[in-house]
Amino acid sequence: MNEETEFKELDSIVVRFAGDSGDGMQLTGTQFTNTSAVFGNDISTMPDFPAEIRAPAGTLAGVSGFQVNFSNKDILTPGDSPQVLVAMNPAALKASLKDLESGGTIIVNTDAFTQTNLRKADYAMNPLEDESLVGYHVIEVPLTTLNREALKEIESLSTKDKDRSQNFFALGIVFWMFERPMETTLEWVQKKFAKRPDLIEANTKALQAGYFFGDTTRTFQQRYRIRPAQLPPGTYRKVTGNEAMAMGLVTAAHKMGKPLFYGTYPITPASDILHALAPLRHFDVRTFQAEDEIAAMGSIIGAAFGGAFAVTGTSGPGVALKSEGMGLAIALELPMVIVNVQRGGPSTGLPTKTEQSDLLQAMFGRNGESPIVVLAPQSPADCFNIAVEAARCAMRATTPVMILSDGFLANSSEPWPVPNPDDIEPILIEHPAAREAEDDPFMPYARDEETLARPWAIPGTRGLEHRIGGLSKAPLTGNVSYVPEHHEQMTHDRAEKIARLAEFLPEQEVFGPSSGDLLMISWGGTFGAVRSGVIKAQRNGRSVAHAHLRYLNPLPRNLRDIISNYKQVIVPELNGGQLAFLLRGRFGLNIQSFPKMHARPFKISEITSKIEELLG
Amino acid sequence: MSIPITLNRKDFVSDQTVRWCPGCGDYAILASVQKTLPDIGVPKENIVFISGIGCSSRFPYYMNTYGIHSIHGRAPTLATGLAIANPELSVWVVTGDGDGLSIGGNHLIHAIRRNINLNILLFNNRIYGLTKGQYSPTSRTGTKTKSSPMGSLEQPLNPIALAMAAEATFIARSIDAHTQHLNETLMAASQHKGISFVEIYQNCVIFNPNEWIGLDDRRVRDENILYLEHGKPMIFGKDMDKGIRLNGFRPAVVQLGNGITEDDLLVHDETSTQLAFILASMEFPEFPAPMGVIRRVEKQTYTDGLMNQIETARQIKGNGNLRTLYESADLWTVTAKDQNGVASKQTGQLSLEVDEEYVDELDKEPEVTTAMQDRLIEDTIAALSPKAPITIDVSASLAKAVRQMNTHRIGCLVVTDAHDKLVGIFTEKDVLHRVVGLVEDLETAVIADYMTPDPIALKANLPIAQALHEMHMHGFRHIPLVDDEHRPEGIISFRDVVHHLKERFA
Repeated sequence: MNEETEFKELDSIVVRFAGDSGDGMQLTGTQFTNTSAVFGNDISTMPDFPAEIRAPAGTLAGVSGFQVNFSNKDILTPGDSPQVLVAMNPAALKASLKDLESGGTIIVNTDAFTQTNLRKADYAMNPLEDESLVGYHVIEVPLTTLNREALKEIESLSTKDKDRSQNFFALGIVFWMFERPMETTLEWVQKKFAKRPDLIEANTKALQAGYFFGDTTRTFQQRYRIRPAQLPPGTYRKVTGNEAMAMGLVTAAHKMGKPLFYGTYPITPASDILHALAPLRHFDVRTFQAEDEIAAMGSIIGAAFGGAFAVTGTSGPGVALKSEGMGLAIALELPMVIVNVQRGGPSTGLPTKTEQSDLLQAMFGRNGESPIVVLAPQSPADCFNIAVEAARCAMRATTPVMILSDGFLANSSEPWPVPNPDDIEPILIEHPAAREAEDDPFMPYARDEETLARPWAIPGTRGLEHRIGGLSKAPLTGNVSYVPEHHEQMTHDRAEKIARLAEFLPEQEVFGPSSGDLLMISWGGTFGAVRSGVIKAQRNGRSVAHAHLRYLNPLPRNLRDIISNYKQVIVPELNGGQLAFLLRGRFGLNIQSFPKMHARPFKISEITSKIEELLG
Repeated sequence: MSIPITLNRKDFVSDQTVRWCPGCGDYAILASVQKTLPDIGVPKENIVFISGIGCSSRFPYYMNTYGIHSIHGRAPTLATGLAIANPELSVWVVTGDGDGLSIGGNHLIHAIRRNINLNILLFNNRIYGLTKGQYSPTSRTGTKTKSSPMGSLEQPLNPIALAMAAEATFIARSIDAHTQHLNETLMAASQHKGISFVEIYQNCVIFNPNEWIGLDDRRVRDENILYLEHGKPMIFGKDMDKGIRLNGFRPAVVQLGNGITEDDLLVHDETSTQLAFILASMEFPEFPAPMGVIRRVEKQTYTDGLMNQIETARQIKGNGNLRTLYESADLWTVTAKDQNGVASKQTGQLSLEVDEEYVDELDKEPEVTTAMQDRLIEDTIAALSPKAPITIDVSASLAKAVRQMNTHRIGCLVVTDAHDKLVGIFTEKDVLHRVVGLVEDLETAVIADYMTPDPIALKANLPIAQALHEMHMHGFRHIPLVDDEHRPEGIISFRDVVHHLKERFA
């Protein structure tokens, strides 16, 4: 044991693992996160995938990163800037260095800093040998060599195979630095490679060798101690937004006693919802991989007509293709959910990066007057809640609901207090009962007085045979009608029933003073950064409050009153100012916009700087 | 399918006024469908009609069943979702040659390919009617319409061949004007489990009234229609005196008699893929128009497959349990007593993998390397017994350099600085390309200006493979070796590597 190494107590720290896409950095980051979660820290993670699936090894385009923020207190974001960077090659160093906090620690695999790799990363000079890393604490580890040495007795593996476990060597070093137990990962290795004892041995040895390397060498002057967080009592797991969304959808289907029909076409970053749902046949989950986005949309309209809980998942380009079908769904007034995991746009845009730029598309991206309910989760775990709420809204108003998740929420993770399924209220659905010939004729568009929902009569029910379609209709009968008054009334009713959902949904809550100098209004995946920034500013004595919207259409019924209580109102969002535009149009008030279009989440510091700028 | 239901045609007539043009073939098809449905053995409430956009797509409004008049081309997608949501239903798609083969062509192909339990009725009138008379994907080349005044330039699509390409399990053809044949065909389609694709020749009296002349007139049609019957020879004609024979791979019309008998004719086989393609290729008037069931085979339907998967999954895992689902990850528990004391437990499945490339690689069997590859990776450069380098000071003249090379009969000099560190390399190539004919006075020219500065240099403990790699990447013939202080301690050439391998494997 190296007695001289000091422990530094920290509240939280941000670590980024970066390497080539073939280096297993996502796996390394996930293992570190799992261990930290099991250790009891609060965690928040953000993976950063290369856009190309298999970019050339060693190039900047091939860098795969995984950032984890872990803490002894409640944290809301994966952290602005990493304080510790593990760089497996020059490209990884180059891609991540600009984000690293000044004075941060860099652990590099010096063996990967060959002329060839430097050239691939566009380094004219070796950054380990010139001045470019002055101001950082650089720990040079000949990781490949050390790892080969540690595994030299495993004869059944080639050198190349041995090199594949060098990420576990790096993980071992980081485990040592942060005083993490190795058990969680060692158990995982046992399960994962149950059929390959040689790989169990290699990865186990690599992890332990890395750990002991930290322990026995004097390369590290500093270790860090982050105590377990004071999370509320309960059982926790780590969950990503897409995992939570999938579980929320299954839960909703279960709570309404219906099969879940999930018709979709693969698209980044939404496909993981399909991957999470496809193995759940025993929940009567009926996933359908359609031939295209349009077919996916058509299939959920058919499934909704047939009485299933019908859901599709996609991203912005897919929503564009689905928009005609969504218009039909609105006209048919059938309950269904469309999940849009937003990514950078327009067009193909930035498939693996995040953005919130589909809000106006969600609101208005269809022909005619075609209002739709729009909800947005605020964190990875909140995707679970929003999925259930979306189902409730769809059923209550018999209308399509769109969920605006995003690439950041989809792939990021946080601890999730595992709910008791019995605590989740059932979703009550009333299908009209069968009728006999002597009964009054069935009226498919006879509306509920309170909600304006229409009866959801499903095929197979005797006496309720009816025809619906995309042509304009008469009230009550739903028969095709070109009568001007009919068209106006139906248009009004469709909008009004969505507006009335505001009475059903909770009022907007404000974090901070109920009146004051500044109100920040955010929505969707920016919650963590904005809330953290507002907390910081409040601690500095600033009169600033935060209203984070989860319901975008209809807007919370008390939002206008809230807005009028502040001298300034600003909307930070990852687009050109779409919510600000909506709110101005809706309330006619002076609302400022704080747009960001880097296809990356807000940093907390960007929020605090903006607050300081506004409040002088 | 023996459900005791007594329905009649009127039960299927809706309260909506039918609004097709007078004389439209759709009336006959509607009447035929309404006539057939009472007998298919399905309760009325289990029947759904789904259409897209076009004249034919008004169909659901006139049927007193469940129905959706959807959007252009997409009817098969709605029908697919509906069939999956409730496999008990009898789902009918009504489409046309524009809706089904143009804007919705892709959906049609995929609904067929999946063998969804649907009945697809494609009304083919070879024209766009609702938009008032443009050519359609089935219009014959040269068809003159408002959008093709000099004749259509396009090759028409053959609906039966398309359905064959998508491997439809049931394909049939009929015509609006032949009520009895249409009724029988619809009945056969309704009884087939899986996709039933029926092309119905339909007459557009307004925009394409003469398309089916010869087929829709009861006085002449029997002369021109080949009525298909499984297991029966292909005989046709008013007097049943003609038949279809195969000449090589080509079908041909033959007159019976004069030595040609039924035994010479093709016999219809609903299960033959090859025969179905031949029938699909037979176009009237060159051939009689084949009508009836062209193909009928049994395959598992999509929904049967899906329901089997659900059943199997439930047998293996039990009915889905939400708590188990939530807990299918690494769990940890925070207790109220001592919030710092964290008890952790591991349960359930492992979390989602995101590193597919990495994990794929791990799961691969170890790569088989050749003995030579192993040697090149495992033997270090030292094994090449590198020659000691001939060094020259960076300030030396070119004349001295050339003399050195001649004296030692070598092609490469290693250039060092005052501290004996490697600063460059000077080779025959440099002499050839940079010196000969370009430098007048070799005595005054300094080697520093003509060498390759800061050459790639390796250490002797690296694998030979790396030296080979550098040589290959940069076209080097020589690579200097250096010690930890960057002082030259040897030089290797490509020839040394070849020699080494020869020694090893000789």
